[in-house]
Amino acid sequence: MSNFIAGYLPLFDLYCLHVGLALSQFIVLRAGVFSLATAAFAGIGAYTAGILAVDLGAHPVLGVLCGTLMGMLVAMVLSIPLARLRGVYQAIATVAFIQICLSLNIYSESITGGAMGLNNIPKTVGTGTLFVFAALATYMIWAIEKGRLGRAFNTIRQDEAVAASLGISIRKHQMLAFAISGALAGLFGSLEAYHSYAIDPRQFGFHLLITVLSYVIFGGRNSVIGPLAGAAFLIILPELARPLAENRMVIYGIMLILVINFMPKGVADTAIDAIKARRLTAKRGDSA
Amino acid sequence: MLAQQLLNGLVVSGVYALFSLGFTLVFGIQRILNLAHGAVFMTGAMVAYYTVDGGGPLWLAFILAIIVSGCLSVLVEITCFRRLRKTGDEEFGGVVSSIGAGLVITTIAQQISSTQILRFPFETFPVVIFRFWDLRVSMLQLFMAGAALVMVLILGYLFYKTAFGRRVRAVTDNERAATLMGINPNRIYMQTYFLAGALAGAAGVLVGLAFNSISFVMGEPYMMFGFAIIILGGLGSIPGALLASVIFGMVQTLTIAYLPSGLTDTIIFAALFLILLVRPHGLLGQEDAGNLGGRR
Repeated sequence: MSNFIAGYLPLFDLYCLHVGLALSQFIVLRAGVFSLATAAFAGIGAYTAGILAVDLGAHPVLGVLCGTLMGMLVAMVLSIPLARLRGVYQAIATVAFIQICLSLNIYSESITGGAMGLNNIPKTVGTGTLFVFAALATYMIWAIEKGRLGRAFNTIRQDEAVAASLGISIRKHQMLAFAISGALAGLFGSLEAYHSYAIDPRQFGFHLLITVLSYVIFGGRNSVIGPLAGAAFLIILPELARPLAENRMVIYGIMLILVINFMPKGVADTAIDAIKARRLTAKRGDSA
Repeated sequence: MLAQQLLNGLVVSGVYALFSLGFTLVFGIQRILNLAHGAVFMTGAMVAYYTVDGGGPLWLAFILAIIVSGCLSVLVEITCFRRLRKTGDEEFGGVVSSIGAGLVITTIAQQISSTQILRFPFETFPVVIFRFWDLRVSMLQLFMAGAALVMVLILGYLFYKTAFGRRVRAVTDNERAATLMGINPNRIYMQTYFLAGALAGAAGVLVGLAFNSISFVMGEPYMMFGFAIIILGGLGSIPGALLASVIFGMVQTLTIAYLPSGLTDTIIFAALFLILLVRPHGLLGQEDAGNLGGRR
C-alpha cells in the first residue's frame, strides 16, 4: 500500500502545483479579463525565488515571499496598460508579454542562467507544504467568490456598463484580479522552484499557458470546483490511459474542442447546474 | 550590405504576407483568432516534404501542399468553430478550440515525423545565384518573392473583382443581411478557410525550402510573428496585413543583422505590446477594435 502511495506522490505534487496555477488563471477569467499571463507570472516567481536561493542563499520562506510579491507587483503593473484592451486583444497582449519574458530570460544569461536554466536550487518544499498552500489558495478563492468581491467580478464579467452604473470600478477590480492572479502564480512558481531542483525558461512558455487554460476550460469557469476538477481529470487521465501516453496531446486537444463546443460551461459547472435543477424540480414536487 | 539586407527582408516579407493574410482574413470575416493556423502552415511543409521524399516532383508537392492545407483548414472550421458561432461564444471559445485543433495536428505530425527535423534532398530546388551590382539573389529567393506576389495578386483579384469577393465582403459586413440576400454564409466561410489554409500551406513550403528544415514545431514562431503582423496592420485588414508584413520582415532582418542576436524577439514583441496599447486597431484597421479606453 505504501508503495502504491509513494508511486503516485509525484503526481499529487504536480496536482497541487497546477491547482494553484489553475486558480490564478481562473480568477482573471472570473473578473472578465481574457489574460493568459499566468505562465509568465509563474516564471517570474520561480526565477525570483530560485535566484535568491542560489545566489544569495536566502531562506526558503523569504524566497517564496519575494516570489509571490514579485509576481503580484508585475501583474499589477501589467494590468494598467491592459485595462485599455478587451477580449482577444488582451489575450494577444498577454501572449506577447509571455514571449517578452521568455526571450529576456534567455538573453540575460548572467542572471538567469539563460537557456540552460537555473540549477542546484536546494529542495526545501515537500508534498506537505504544497498541499497546505494549495488548500489555502483554494480557500482564499472560495472566500472571494462568496463575498462582495465575487459578486462584483460576476457583474463586471457579464456587463461592464451595468457594473459601472452600480458603482463598481472596473479598473480597480480588474487590477485586483490581476494582483491576486499574479500573487498566486508567483507563489506556486516559487514553490515549484524549491520543489524541483532546477527550472528552465521554456517551462514557463506557451505550453504551460495551454495546460493551465485547459484545466479551467475543462473544469469550468464559474465555481472554484471547476479548476480543481479540471486539473484532477486532466492530470489523472493520461496516467489511466498509459497505452495512449503517446497520444496524450491528441486526447487533450480533442477534449478541449469537445468540451468548449458541447459543454461550454465546463464539466464541473454543468454537473453543478444539473444537480441544482434537479433539486429545484424536487422541491416543486414537494410543495405541489 | 544594407541593400542586401533590405532585399533579404523583402523576400522574408513575402512569406509573412502569405501566412498572415489567411490569419487576418479569418479574423476579419468571423472575429475568430484561429490559433490552429500555425499548424496548418506546418502541414503544408510536411506534405511537400513527403511528396518529394516519395519521388514526386517539386511542383506536384507544392500543389498537393496547397490543397491539403486548404482542406485541413476547412476541417478546422467545421469541427471547431461552426457550432460555437451558433451559441455566440466564438471569441473566447474560438481561441480555446483552435488551440485544441493545433495540439491535435502538431501531435499527429510529431508522430509521423518521429520528432525529427526533416530536410529536403540536396538540389530539390536548383541552387543558382544571380549577382547584379553588389547584390546576391538566389533563384529560390526570386521564386519565393514571385510566388508570394502572384498569390497576393490572385487573392486581391478574387476579393475585389469577382462575385465571390463581393459575397465574402457582404458576409463580413453583416452576416444576417447577407443571408437575406441569398448568400449561404457557411459556404462562404468554408471557401475563406480554404483560401486561408492554402496560403498558409504555400508559405510553409516556401519556408521549408528556404531554411531546409521542417519540424512539427515550425508553426509556433510563425504564429507569434503572425500575431504581431496582423495586430500591426489592424485585425482583419488585408492591405494592413500586407503593409505590416513588409515592415515586419524588414525590421526583423535588420535587427538580426545589426543588433545583439538574443534581443530580436524581445524587441519585436515589445513593439507589438506597445502598438496594442497606443493603436489597438493597427495601422489600417477600423476604429471599433478592442479599445474601450475612453468609454469609462
